[in-house]
Amino acid sequence: MSFVSPVWLVALAVIPCMLAARLAARRRARRYAIRFTAVPTLRLAAQGRPSIWRRLPGALVLAALTAVVLALARPQLSDRVAVGEASMMLVTDHSGSMAAAERSADTFIHELPSTVRVGAIAFSSTPDAVQAPVSNHAAAQEVIDGQTAGGATATGDALQLALQLLDGGDAKHPPSAIVLLSDGAANAGVDVITVARQARQDRIPIETVALGTPGGVLANPDPLGAPLAVPPDPQLMAQIAQASGGRAFDAQTADQLSSIYERLGKRLGTVARRHDVTAAFAIVGVVLLALAAAGATRWSGRLP
Amino acid sequence: MSVTVLDPPAGRQGPGPIPQQLIDALDLAVSRLVARTLPGDRRAAGVGLGTELAQLRPYEIGDDVRHIEPSATARTGQPHVRLHVPERALTTWIVLDVSPSMAFGTARRLKADVAEGVALVFGRLGVRRAGSLGLVTFGAPTARVLAPRGSKPGIVALRRALAEGVARDGCRQPEALAHAVARTARLARQPGLVVAISDFRDQRTWERPLGSLRMRHSVVAVEISDPREAQLPAAGHLALVDPETGARIEVDTSRPRVRRRFAELERERRAQVARELRRLRVDHVALSTADDWLPALGRHLR
Repeated sequence: MSFVSPVWLVALAVIPCMLAARLAARRRARRYAIRFTAVPTLRLAAQGRPSIWRRLPGALVLAALTAVVLALARPQLSDRVAVGEASMMLVTDHSGSMAAAERSADTFIHELPSTVRVGAIAFSSTPDAVQAPVSNHAAAQEVIDGQTAGGATATGDALQLALQLLDGGDAKHPPSAIVLLSDGAANAGVDVITVARQARQDRIPIETVALGTPGGVLANPDPLGAPLAVPPDPQLMAQIAQASGGRAFDAQTADQLSSIYERLGKRLGTVARRHDVTAAFAIVGVVLLALAAAGATRWSGRLP
Repeated sequence: MSVTVLDPPAGRQGPGPIPQQLIDALDLAVSRLVARTLPGDRRAAGVGLGTELAQLRPYEIGDDVRHIEPSATARTGQPHVRLHVPERALTTWIVLDVSPSMAFGTARRLKADVAEGVALVFGRLGVRRAGSLGLVTFGAPTARVLAPRGSKPGIVALRRALAEGVARDGCRQPEALAHAVARTARLARQPGLVVAISDFRDQRTWERPLGSLRMRHSVVAVEISDPREAQLPAAGHLALVDPETGARIEVDTSRPRVRRRFAELERERRAQVARELRRLRVDHVALSTADDWLPALGRHLR
């Protein structure tokens, strides 16, 4: 929650002031108390009365006052609404084992609102399957589904291509994002960090998802060779995300990947929007005030 | 000095007119009331001057020759003297409550006003027939004792003591009545009339001293109350303060449950006082500030 004119919150200081004034009034009441000789008996007679009912109207007034002061400060709530013009590139590395990634990418695309245009790039040594951002989500899905594992990892090239597809070299472009899924170190093509900095300039965050386990191995293409170790490089992925203003995720299982994609899909497809809740606070204040008045009339026979 | 802590209460009305005819009418009632302590009913210790024959005995040197009984002397041939049951003038002791709670009254007058009137009536009755009048006050930080005096000086001293008023607020002595009664028992050597005037409120342990006082004296307990002490009006939210303890209470008198319970407790308390006085065989006169106290007192004494 945020406030449009938080200077009004200073008025909350009136609440301790009111409490102090009430205490002073109680002390002053000693002076006009009526002499009465049967006070001990009366104390017995009035016993058993819960003091909470006597204090409740006062507390309600203070709560109402708080609500009204908060209403004066014009509070706003922020929530996420779907973006109409957003574009998204899914950059997927198919150099490693991508069977799990395929299904997860499907989840991701499914989560995106239909208004978001989705493109996809599958890459290994070079970006070899490219789909520019279109509203038809099935096209991107086909690219993801159609890839086969194998080859080197030219992350830089793929990201550069994705950037070009998203903004076309134009600084003015609809809100966009790149989701990079990779399981290995970038070992070919242009420098990844340079591309990430470029993305930041273009205001296109790269959300990175590092896939795989540290002890992951891959069958050697040479039937006689030892299995190839393919450890993920989370440090590099984190660097890319940081340099481009995105966030880095780390997925070790297919389930984790799915949940990350789900979160990303929700976040990237929507944008934070603030809306005014002043009226609600004002209504709560008025209702509390009315309750306090009713309660005080009922229990004390006077207005609080 | 007791003068510095006593004040004439605000809103003092005075006891109102006390007509002489009423005093005359009450005289008979009071003499009947104290008849038990007069010769014939309860004999004083020893012998003395009087009219009623106590005994005849042989003359001894030193006896008043005027008391020689002629008939007995003639019959026996030995001088005999006639001794009488002593007839002593009645001494009336007034034990008066001057605690701050007496400065309260919501009807015709304050409780202190009624107490003043009752003290004056019994004072004027007490100084009749060469009687004397003593006063013991209680409830103020310093108790006041006036030695028994007869006739005008007694009345004047009583009036002066009454004019001083009652104790200021904030003086709480829950055993003042007990002490005052015990002190009266010590001071009043000869059987007489003791009138205890109080509201019998917030006092304790007075039963035993009053009982022992009753053994020798005729005791009248005058209980003065205010209608507001028995029944609260529905006056809404009230802040009340006890004049003696200074205890403060805020109460919503518009709640029927509180009023009903208050009335119940007060009724119980007064019934307890009445029960205790009846047990001690003390004459109990209940007066209210709402009524005309003088006819009420007369009705009771008759």
